[in-house]
Amino acid sequence: MNKLMVFGVVFVLALLGLTWVVAGGQVGDDIVNKLAMLGAVATATIAIFVALKYIRQMQTDKAGGKLAEENWDGIGEYKNELPFGWAIIFFGLVIWAIWYFLAGYPVNAYSQIGEYNEAVAEHDAKFEAQYANMDEETLKEMGGSIFIVQCAPCHGLQADGIDGKAANLNARLEEKTIKHVIQNGSNNQLLGMEMPMPDRNGLMNANTGALITDAEIDAVTKFVAGGMKGTEGADVFAGTCAACHGADGKGMDMVAPSIADFNPTLIANVLKHGKKGAIGAMPAFNNLTEAQVKALGAYVTSLSK
Amino acid sequence: MFHWLEKHPFFFAVAVFVTIAFAGLIEIVPNFAQASQPVVGTKPYTTLELAGRHIYISNNCMGCHSQLVRPFKSETDRYGHYSLSGEYAYDRPFLWGSKRTGPDLMRVGNYRTTDWHENHMKDPAAVVPGSIMPAYRWMFKKDADIDTAYAEQVTVNKVFKTPYNVEIPMVDGSKATVKMAATLDEAHADALEEAKMIAADMKDQDVKDAVEAGKIPEIVALIAYLNSLK
Repeated sequence: MNKLMVFGVVFVLALLGLTWVVAGGQVGDDIVNKLAMLGAVATATIAIFVALKYIRQMQTDKAGGKLAEENWDGIGEYKNELPFGWAIIFFGLVIWAIWYFLAGYPVNAYSQIGEYNEAVAEHDAKFEAQYANMDEETLKEMGGSIFIVQCAPCHGLQADGIDGKAANLNARLEEKTIKHVIQNGSNNQLLGMEMPMPDRNGLMNANTGALITDAEIDAVTKFVAGGMKGTEGADVFAGTCAACHGADGKGMDMVAPSIADFNPTLIANVLKHGKKGAIGAMPAFNNLTEAQVKALGAYVTSLSK
Repeated sequence: MFHWLEKHPFFFAVAVFVTIAFAGLIEIVPNFAQASQPVVGTKPYTTLELAGRHIYISNNCMGCHSQLVRPFKSETDRYGHYSLSGEYAYDRPFLWGSKRTGPDLMRVGNYRTTDWHENHMKDPAAVVPGSIMPAYRWMFKKDADIDTAYAEQVTVNKVFKTPYNVEIPMVDGSKATVKMAATLDEAHADALEEAKMIAADMKDQDVKDAVEAGKIPEIVALIAYLNSLK
């Protein structure tokens, strides 16, 4: 054992001693502390003896081997064998790089839109699972919260249309709207595919056999706006409107929408096509999902009940 | 050549710069050129819409409203499809904004109408309870600057080849043409024609009368612009 080896052993012991002091002079029962101490012993020992090996090699080694032909101002180079381990790693990396370039990066790269799509798909799946079969209460609750975001800016938080700025959804129809429709006709696709309603020049009163008159319009407007109650205007309704809208005003499939009450189908079609009438235009809301449209239908229908 | 470069550090540095810059360019330019192409369905602005855009800018609307829908579920639920860079192809400058005090306006034309804007610009709190947006009543009285809008149209058409008076493909496969007038007088007439259609949906009698008299109040131009944001 030469001087260098003795120095190595002393140094290792010194390091371990220092570790011991820093650790607080005890290992205790903790398995993690024991492992850490073991690791410290191993690390110090290996480090010191590897360093010693190379220091001795530098002291004793002589230049040998075959020189390469290149010579730069007297500085030459030995023709050494390619280290085997290094070569393995190098070629391994080349293969990995080809994979990464052709498949790894293009397939697995991060994309903002990709993350968005994943988030949306995840949310949609969760939403569908949670709200697959909604009861009436849940539908109304959901409809109410969608209403606040999407509808309230025009129809108001109370759905009252904010002083005539939009339709008042607490009643099916207001006088102003009814009169406008009778006079100008309507083609709002409230059932999705029905025939358009003609203007007043196409509205016959079957009772009189003539076109509807101003007085009759006033009467029937009051009758419909009043919720189809009373007798005034009832005869005009029966003679002119009932043919398409039904005797009770609830409408007929493929012919005319209900003017007695809101229903989810009607609301779904307004959301799909938008609407233009006495008050102004309503844009279509095609952004909503099917469940949301159903929920809004239930909520708005419930408002006027 | 490389030996020569190695002996001349200055030219070596220049060569390194050129090489790296070239690598950067071939990576950036094609992508940029592709992304800045107008998305199908994106139309250049009409004269009246451009006048409205100028009003939008001069009143610093972009100080509170952004025009950029980010790809987050919460945003696309509220505003619609996230923004694509090609949708800004005819925006000079783009009006992305930097802060949302009010909501995003990128697609406001899809879910607000002429009469809503009219009510809202007159008295925001009456339509949106608790809104802190100020009222913009002077827009109902001041007239829009059609001259400048037409000048911009002519300029972007000449300099950037913005496609006016040519067919542009739309999403549904149809073609649309945005007209640019040949003369300033014609531009005024076209803008008035468009303004009449907007005013027909409005309630304010003063505005209706002004349009009838051949004037274009700022509010009409602004609403035309807002309706075009889709």
